[in-house]
Amino acid sequence: MEYALVIYEDEAVYGEEGSQVWLDIFAQHEAFAAELVEKGLLRGGAGLKPTNTATTVRKVAGQHALHDGPFAESKEQLGGFYVIEVPDLDAALAWARKLPLTADGAVEVRPVLAGST
Amino acid sequence: MAKGLLDQAARTHGGRVIAALAARFRDLDLAEEAFADACLKAAQVWPRLSSEGDGAPRDPAAWLYAVAQRQALDRLRRRVTRARHVPDPPEPPPSAEDAMTDDARLIPDERLRLIFVCCHPAVAPDARAALTLRLVCGLTTQEIARAFLVSEPTLAQRLTRAKRKIADAGIPFEVPGPEAWSERLGAVLSTLEVAYAKAHEDAAGAGAHAGYAREMLDLTAVLVELLPGEPECLSFAALVRYAEARRPARLDEDGAMTPLSQQDPALWRRPLIAEAETLLRRAARWRRPGPRQLQAAIHAAWCGRASLAEPAPWPTVLALYDALLTWRDDAVVRLNRAVAVAEVSGPAQALAEVDGLDSALFRDFGPFHAVRADLLARLSRGDEAVAAYDRALALDPAPAERLWLERRRAEVAPA
Repeated sequence: MEYALVIYEDEAVYGEEGSQVWLDIFAQHEAFAAELVEKGLLRGGAGLKPTNTATTVRKVAGQHALHDGPFAESKEQLGGFYVIEVPDLDAALAWARKLPLTADGAVEVRPVLAGST
Repeated sequence: MAKGLLDQAARTHGGRVIAALAARFRDLDLAEEAFADACLKAAQVWPRLSSEGDGAPRDPAAWLYAVAQRQALDRLRRRVTRARHVPDPPEPPPSAEDAMTDDARLIPDERLRLIFVCCHPAVAPDARAALTLRLVCGLTTQEIARAFLVSEPTLAQRLTRAKRKIADAGIPFEVPGPEAWSERLGAVLSTLEVAYAKAHEDAAGAGAHAGYAREMLDLTAVLVELLPGEPECLSFAALVRYAEARRPARLDEDGAMTPLSQQDPALWRRPLIAEAETLLRRAARWRRPGPRQLQAAIHAAWCGRASLAEPAPWPTVLALYDALLTWRDDAVVRLNRAVAVAEVSGPAQALAEVDGLDSALFRDFGPFHAVRADLLARLSRGDEAVAAYDRALALDPAPAERLWLERRRAEVAPA
């Protein structure tokens, strides 16, 4: 099955792009992704720039409206995701545990709709 | 006659048959539906098995499994057929021969896998115990709903949602590997603790909760049979037996609850206590103590009492609670410990400890107010004791507890 590992963290912890925290976690992500590639499990994914770069298009009663910022203001923000191919949920959860995070954060594990990648 | 035999067979063997079907087809709904189909067929066919004289096949479990398996394949074929629009020849009806050719020993025992699926941490906590009781113990939705004090549609919806999550999220039908073992076994045991607490709560035993105490004995027997090297598992099985052994002594002749220290040991069921002791000894042999082993040891201390003439084992119980705190330091354990403190060190110290607990947490917890009331009464603080008894009584206790609380209250404040 394919699963998306969706990453939520407080982006403020990272500071500016290129900060020490940012560099450390980025290096860990490279190693994590390399391991997935090596095992032939990686199907896709991306890291996202901070939410101050986000623009949201919202459709309300058929009308589109734009606003600056992410779709919801929250303590933790969507920071990126992986799509992996593993046999079952337990295997996906094991990878989610290995996924690099700063001290606090969450990884939401969700099956990908069949045929969508 | 056949109806009774069928109900009994479904109850006794249902868990094993459903587990084997679920393991084979990796589909809980299909397993349940196929088992229901097989029971329906049995209701039609078994009464005709008159050569056996008793209206049942020689090996009911094997019969049900063989027929259910065919029903499952049939259902799968129909799913495919529906997609292709080509009619498929129907299965031949089950016959008496099924009774001759099958053998229950050939049904793979997949109940452990099924238990781990039902108690997976990815399943909603409020559905885990219900799902286990439904699939592994064969309780009806109605029975479980009554025990958990929720409406039947609510419970049915919870079960449906849990089964859908298991299927859609790809929860594996496997016993977890060593890396996840302790966490996952912990989830299983916690789920069963919740289920058993519900069954145990009602002292009367006639109430809705006690309905499946029998199944909890069976389920824990299955667990220790399948996991003979897990001391926490053995300990939990022992605990259920100690607690069930005392059930006949939990009510007095008026139907009021009898506290553990006043129960007549002559009324306890000795064979169950003996079973519990064997299990707890097996657990201790692994020299890997844990919270459930200590809880079972507390039960063992009580069940070692031969008669009311013997002193109650309060010092031992207190020492065991102290040890339990190192494993499980929560408010309920501290409340129970305070009861032992009252007997060993006096009610004043016990009350100080109870009042040191987070009272907001216990606001709607009857036992907290009952313990406080008793301590206040013993310290001759009658008005406060009455207020605490009133608080406990206002929380809608079971009839046996209510009667006991009312009696205690009357002793403090004679009408």
